[in-house]
Amino acid sequence: MSGFLAVAERELKAYFYSPLAYVVLTFFLLVQGYYFSVIVAYLADPRFPAGKPLELFFGQTIFTWLVLIFAGTFLTMRLVSEELRSGTIETLMTAPVSETHVVLGKYAAALVFYLFLWAPTLVFCAIVRWFTPVDWGPIAASYLGIVGIGALFLAVGLFASATSKNQIVAAVASFFFVLVLFSIGLLETLANGETARAVLGYLNLWQHMDEFAKGIVDTRHLVYYATGVGFFLFLTTRALAARKWR
Amino acid sequence: MIEAHQLTRRFGAFTAVAGVSFSVPEGEIVGMLGPNGAGKTTTIRMITGFLPPTSGRVTLGGRDLFGDSVAIRREIGYLPENVALYPELRVEEYLTWRGRLEGLDRAAIRRRLAEVVDRCLLGEVRRQVIGTLSKGFRQRVGLAAAILHDPRVLVLDEPTVGLDPKQIIAIRELIRELGREHTLLVSTHILPEVELLCRRVLIIDRGRIVAHGTPAELREQWHGALGVTVELERAVEGAGESLAALPGVDGVRAESEDGRRFALACAKGSDPRAEVFRLAAARGWTLVELSASRASLEDVFVRLTTRDAGEAPAAPVAEVA
Repeated sequence: MSGFLAVAERELKAYFYSPLAYVVLTFFLLVQGYYFSVIVAYLADPRFPAGKPLELFFGQTIFTWLVLIFAGTFLTMRLVSEELRSGTIETLMTAPVSETHVVLGKYAAALVFYLFLWAPTLVFCAIVRWFTPVDWGPIAASYLGIVGIGALFLAVGLFASATSKNQIVAAVASFFFVLVLFSIGLLETLANGETARAVLGYLNLWQHMDEFAKGIVDTRHLVYYATGVGFFLFLTTRALAARKWR
Repeated sequence: MIEAHQLTRRFGAFTAVAGVSFSVPEGEIVGMLGPNGAGKTTTIRMITGFLPPTSGRVTLGGRDLFGDSVAIRREIGYLPENVALYPELRVEEYLTWRGRLEGLDRAAIRRRLAEVVDRCLLGEVRRQVIGTLSKGFRQRVGLAAAILHDPRVLVLDEPTVGLDPKQIIAIRELIRELGREHTLLVSTHILPEVELLCRRVLIIDRGRIVAHGTPAELREQWHGALGVTVELERAVEGAGESLAALPGVDGVRAESEDGRRFALACAKGSDPRAEVFRLAAARGWTLVELSASRASLEDVFVRLTTRDAGEAPAAPVAEVA
């Protein structure tokens, strides 16, 4: 347990000690703030249909997805590959800490930083609340979706990071995996078989996020994310172990 | 304390370590000596559990390293070859982190931290960011981290590589001191280091142990073999071949570019100096030097690890500062 905490804490420190954290944080908030202002401006225009700004902010637009996909990639690319490149992995793997604890520690740090990234967007909710009453249910559901899908993408990124000692390679691999996960569900509309459509529909993250934004919490979606996270974290521990046998 | 049984490690078709067996008794300092690429680091990585062997076993106090890996790792302190640290952390932060990784509690970390900082002479840099430290200091931070949890066994892979002479002396002194309380396995390709530090030596080459014993034993083993140096005033055509043909001479190596100076490797128990003199007299060569030397550990090492007779140069021998 102390090994897990030690790894997680050091990893979090590494985020905040490096400029990457601040660059990601800055761009994230700039981009999110811009999206939010665009949405508000759109809704304020009498020529367009009225809507709920926060529902639009979380679902129905590509904006959320761009952020999710890039965050998944940038926050995780360093995690393992940096240790492989610099050789610190040797210290970590010869310390009395299991691979599972190392992987979980790193993942926990990435997740905490990810939450930290989203935390300031609560201000947007407060701004909307200032002008109009809001329904907090869908907002909570939206954040649940953001955390769930983000958790999945981070796990994918962590796995990609364990496959290469080159951060760029890790980033490209994770971007690719995340993109596949994101787009596979979009094939739902193209599928002609009944089963195929059902399966792809289950994996349709875009649809999931729309539902979350409307306040629908479907546990099947959460099960999907949890399973995905578990699967990719398991693969990461295997990738770390496999490194030894090469 | 540590036993290696028939350790073999292959990387694809390449065999880095081929059936190495040895043991490091409790409280001993054992030196592992070998040219670069001999398989020292691979062997050490197997001993510390970083790299599983392709075949063979490592036991520590009778317990199998890969059977009870996490618990046994607690008993090993390891300084890897390229001391890799997190450059963004301060020395203190890093050592505290290592202590937590080893499962020490807060009080123990504070106590041990003060002790190792003191021992490894890190006082002046304890609040400095590791990325800004010199190689020598980083090496010491690595060493401090390796002994932080007071392990029973210390494994040091090339602990003095890349240090300046003053630092080398300081680190050696520290190692010797550590040897009083810990079981030590030290790898190096620096000969005097082994002679200074270790009570027992393993010479490893091309993945095999080619000799082992105390430095004295090794020298004893090769004691009879004399090295003779011959220098002529002028280069003479065929001098090397003529010297090689003398009885009692095993081999001749040119010592200088101009073909005036030769080193003769002699058969055990033979002293061909008189023969050399008579040969020179008969041919009318003028000898300017004819001297003999007993084998040093260095000669033993060179002899054991030179690839092939005639294949020059020998493996890198000593990089003494």
